[in-house]
Amino acid sequence: MTHGPAAAETRSLFGYSLRRIAIYGILIGMTMFYLIPIETGVMTSIIDPTSYTGSFPYLPPLEPLVGGTGEFSLQPWQGALDGLSQGLVNSVILVVPATIFSGLLGSMAAFGLTTISWRGQVGIYALFVAGIFIPYQAVLVPLTQFWYNIVPLRAVFESLAVLPLVETYHWKLVALIITHIAYGLPICTLLFRAHYKKLSDEMVEAAQLDGASVSTIYRRIILPLSVPMFAVVFIYQFTQIWNDLLFALTIVQFGDAAVVTQELVGIGVSQSGTNFPLRMASALLAALPTLLVYIFFGDKFAEGVSA
Amino acid sequence: MADLTLNDVTKVFTEDDGNEITAVDEVSVDIEDGDFLVLVGPSGCGKSTTLRMIAGLETITSGEVRLAGQRINEKPPAERDIAMVFQSYALYPHMTVRENMSFGLEESTDMDDNAIEETVEDTAELMEIEELLDRKPSDLSGGQQQRVALGRAIVRAPEAFLMDEPLSNLDAKLRATMRTELQRIQDDLDVTTVYVTHDQTEAMTMGDRIAILDDGILQQVGTPLECYHTPNNRFVAGFIGDPSMNFFEMDVDDDTLVVDRFAYPLKPAQQEAIAGKSRVVFGIRPEDIRIKEPGGISDNYQFEVTIDVVEPRGDENTVHLTFDRNVSDPITFTATVSGLRDVSAGDAVVATFPPDSIHLFDTETGVALHNRTFESEDATKQVL
Repeated sequence: MTHGPAAAETRSLFGYSLRRIAIYGILIGMTMFYLIPIETGVMTSIIDPTSYTGSFPYLPPLEPLVGGTGEFSLQPWQGALDGLSQGLVNSVILVVPATIFSGLLGSMAAFGLTTISWRGQVGIYALFVAGIFIPYQAVLVPLTQFWYNIVPLRAVFESLAVLPLVETYHWKLVALIITHIAYGLPICTLLFRAHYKKLSDEMVEAAQLDGASVSTIYRRIILPLSVPMFAVVFIYQFTQIWNDLLFALTIVQFGDAAVVTQELVGIGVSQSGTNFPLRMASALLAALPTLLVYIFFGDKFAEGVSA
Repeated sequence: MADLTLNDVTKVFTEDDGNEITAVDEVSVDIEDGDFLVLVGPSGCGKSTTLRMIAGLETITSGEVRLAGQRINEKPPAERDIAMVFQSYALYPHMTVRENMSFGLEESTDMDDNAIEETVEDTAELMEIEELLDRKPSDLSGGQQQRVALGRAIVRAPEAFLMDEPLSNLDAKLRATMRTELQRIQDDLDVTTVYVTHDQTEAMTMGDRIAILDDGILQQVGTPLECYHTPNNRFVAGFIGDPSMNFFEMDVDDDTLVVDRFAYPLKPAQQEAIAGKSRVVFGIRPEDIRIKEPGGISDNYQFEVTIDVVEPRGDENTVHLTFDRNVSDPITFTATVSGLRDVSAGDAVVATFPPDSIHLFDTETGVALHNRTFESEDATKQVL
């Protein structure tokens, strides 16, 4: 190996070794490969709908931008924001509590099933694992029946609607939140359980001897040590719930409570044709929150995955 | 501070397939207030399980644990007022040393923040870890973590300390230092302590008394010297002491013990002790065997032997001796001689087994039939 670098150094081009050039070449190539779809989307979203056809979608719009004014067209983005605003708000109302509660409850369940030992916990845990394998399709009809005919959630919200900020249609979002929490719980529990199994039993026993109750052990010992795993679970659940369409279609169906994925389905489609710039701008707008979550919590995510 | 009593304490684990395993079998020990008891035995002998039952981390199948006269079987660990030091130290990794030490006081007492702060600082000073108070456990060396773990136990001023092999993760030098320090601290605080170890050196050097466990059964409880010189049975005799006691299984032939390569005459008292036995196990500690130059055998307790291997230890040499090197299954035994003595493998020497230093055990049960002569004033006091 001692000859390796020296030999590579001799085969050089403008003072850079060929190996280095090859590495950079591959890296740049892969970066382009991954970024081109996004770049194409961004370029398409700032083209004037009328001049969309006939140009290469990945090239910046040449002209006319907005009717010969020399400006980029922000019209599609404006349209996307107008068209999706209600859906974005609904999605935020849905995703924030659903993510936090599925993570928190998953962590508590994993603590109860892993760190504390009691009779019958294996059976309960088996039920949690089984929950992961229930296909979505199998629960769609029962889910509709449950929320529309069995639970009087709508009636509750009809009386709550007198309060500020509460609307009757919010009952559908609450139903959706609870459904997502329930469906996310098994996988969250599984992830936290894997993490808690690695924590030292002796540490928990030391806390017991120090006089801490079960809830104190969770709050003061386990919870602070779960932060990296919470990052993983939050990112995963946020993306899952934000991107979900099936449950939203089943439970919300239509109306004011529609979430962003539902609104995205119909936007820019009319009998006169498809408005690609508008659809592209909407897709990017709808994807933005998940992108931001990855950017801001990515390092915590990596820490949690490797923990 | 209180005395701790184990009364016929038993632990039976039931495996998934219904098999029952008795890990601890009717162990009874009295530990007086302020006493340092070392529970010692090979791995899997039930010593840690016993400790965990005292702590409340394992349920007690039958029997009773009493602390200060109160039955504590049913009390959860949090209410037992017992502190434990774990082998892995079990520090809370997300807390600073200060937080680690305050945790127990916050959770188990009504002390206000200032009082807790003061107590923690005092204990930190005692443990010489004041300058570590604001650091996290991951920034500390093994020895420092060990001190913090001890500090965390001490700061609560519990009724009793339990220690589960607390020194086994330290290097040999540090272990010796901590051994002395632990004894000093225990002596200062005068708290009843149960210390679990598999290391007989730790047991011998640290304990006021030691309790030897094997296979869940208590073999002997006594002062280190009692256990060393007057073992109850062959297991204790072999476990305590390093290098181990030499054992020879021998036939009884009237007033003499016989085995292939040597015969050993018994004194009348010894003969009486083994009356009716046809075979016994003969035991003698390596340091009781005397080695001298070959020739001049003056009595029946001396034998011509050959040195097989020499293990120099500096202060003394451990020599492995054999009656006859040239047979396929030589009887070998060990003896210790002064480190300054010039001995080397292959030398022919004469070994003496002094008659007042020998032990005799039952072949089947291992029970001690006769122990060496041992007069200790302490031992007599203990009996009274």
